[in-house]
Amino acid sequence: MRQESILSPDWLTVTLVLGGVLVCYYLVPVAALFLSVPLGDVIVQMSDPSVVQVVATSLVGATISTVVATVFGVPLSYWLSREQSRRSSIIVGIVVLPLVLPPIVSGMVLHMVFGPSAPIGRLAAAVGVQTWRSLLGVVLAQTFVASPFVVVTSLAAFSGVDPTLEAASRSLGKGRLTTVYRITLPLAMPGIVAGMALAFARAMGEFGATMIMAYHPETMPVRIWLAFSGRGVDTAFPIAILLVLVSVAVLVVLNTVASNPWT
Amino acid sequence: MLELTTLRTSYDAFDLGPIDLTVENEVLAVLGPSGSGKTTLLSTIAGIVDADGGMVTLNGTELTERPPEDRDVVLVFQDGALFPHMTARENINYAATGATPIDALIETLELTEVLDRNVETLSGGERQRVALARSLATEPGALLLDEPLANLDAPIRHRLRHELRDLFVSLTIPIVYVTHNQRDAAVVSDRIAVIHDGDVHQVDTPTELFAHPETPLVASFTGNVNVFRARIADHDRLEWSGRRMCAPIDGRDVGQSVQFCIRPEHVSVVQSSTNNPNVFAGTVTKSVFQGSSYNLTVQLKHATDPVRLTLSSRTYDRLELAEQEQLRIKLNTNYIHII
Repeated sequence: MRQESILSPDWLTVTLVLGGVLVCYYLVPVAALFLSVPLGDVIVQMSDPSVVQVVATSLVGATISTVVATVFGVPLSYWLSREQSRRSSIIVGIVVLPLVLPPIVSGMVLHMVFGPSAPIGRLAAAVGVQTWRSLLGVVLAQTFVASPFVVVTSLAAFSGVDPTLEAASRSLGKGRLTTVYRITLPLAMPGIVAGMALAFARAMGEFGATMIMAYHPETMPVRIWLAFSGRGVDTAFPIAILLVLVSVAVLVVLNTVASNPWT
Repeated sequence: MLELTTLRTSYDAFDLGPIDLTVENEVLAVLGPSGSGKTTLLSTIAGIVDADGGMVTLNGTELTERPPEDRDVVLVFQDGALFPHMTARENINYAATGATPIDALIETLELTEVLDRNVETLSGGERQRVALARSLATEPGALLLDEPLANLDAPIRHRLRHELRDLFVSLTIPIVYVTHNQRDAAVVSDRIAVIHDGDVHQVDTPTELFAHPETPLVASFTGNVNVFRARIADHDRLEWSGRRMCAPIDGRDVGQSVQFCIRPEHVSVVQSSTNNPNVFAGTVTKSVFQGSSYNLTVQLKHATDPVRLTLSSRTYDRLELAEQEQLRIKLNTNYIHII
């Protein structure tokens, strides 16, 4: 009886109405953005070689930073999920630090390590690698702000995999690596891919840290800012629409991959 | 042969051992209540929990420091621990070494119909069969089972425990079968080890353990057994609540305080008045129908502790018993066991 009253149509209607307000809050501004510019203007922008270059920089940078975040973040999240101790709590705190830092501050701290007068920046420049005002600078900035999404989401995914399954696999004669590859990773994969999708989206939209680390080559958010500050908000709309379209397209692909991969 | 030598460990603030056990190519049931250390014992043998001391050896090879995958000891978990992203067939193939004919295993465990189903859709009994097939597909040197029947309905449990017994007989490896259920232990095993608070209290064959528990604790794990305090009165008599009765004293000292036990099914109801010292008058205070039998609680006139007995439904009806009915019961000398 108790469960029936919770799931009764009246109560569900109330939750839908409350949630619906929030959904409208998301959708209306995006719809207004799309309605603000004729479709032709967006198509014209897409044929502009400099815009194509900006889109490419954003896509390549976000892809590389997502891969880097995954390669380093997934092992860390696995370790965190299996290590229940005070030090793991401290490390989780460190991981989420970039989430709570203002992006512009993230750019400043990165600049102090990888900038032209910073030790690592100078060392890299000495061997011909420029860590600022380069695609590498974009990737460094995007990875810093986006990788926590991979770690935090994958951590939740790994924590949801029953350790008994790993124990069973090892008892059946399979080593740690085989067990992780064939049991743990497939079961955690939806969560990992969700984390990658969030990291990619965050990297695509990253602006503050990128502005400090790599004003050039321009990413889409930087181009939007330049258009807005130079010629007014109307001139920024077409490229903003492009950014939304590219991000949504990639998220749809990742979400399709993430949904229930074993069926 | 699986040997545990002063094996001990601490896990989740629980201390296990030291435990000494030897398991030949037989089934050893580890019987004990929840929290007694049964699962910790299996996990330590399997290498999932590290031992703090002692040794685990299998056929003379020490396993104590080896990781679980190098022990040749397979643990079957309580719920089967089947991999949910695989079908039943994929679960079995995952473990297969290639040496074992999987088809024969599948046939023996009647899994043909469920092989291509996702394991999430299997019933409890089917899951346990798949888990067992998966374990045997590795051709283990020893098999450990953690309450494999615990979550099953009574009819399936009844059927599966007999099937398990038949299967185990065909395997010539040490098998450790953990359970809190006396009936499972009695049917499935060759010997039973009673464990409580991390220590083994008695190891014996099922018949011997049920007939001659060495301590009241062991007696309490082997069913709803009656345990009473008494005193040795002479070479063949016990004094129990002021009454003398015949009992197998076995050379104990006169005057010694002891406890004796008798199983409910070994207490009988007698109809005629008799001078037999083992017959006592009392009143039925509780009667519980169990299907094919009744469990009675009888308050004797001379003793404070009630006596529990089990009667077949047929006998119960023939004697026209009911609660508050007067009766006489007999504690058969042959079934009295002094602890």
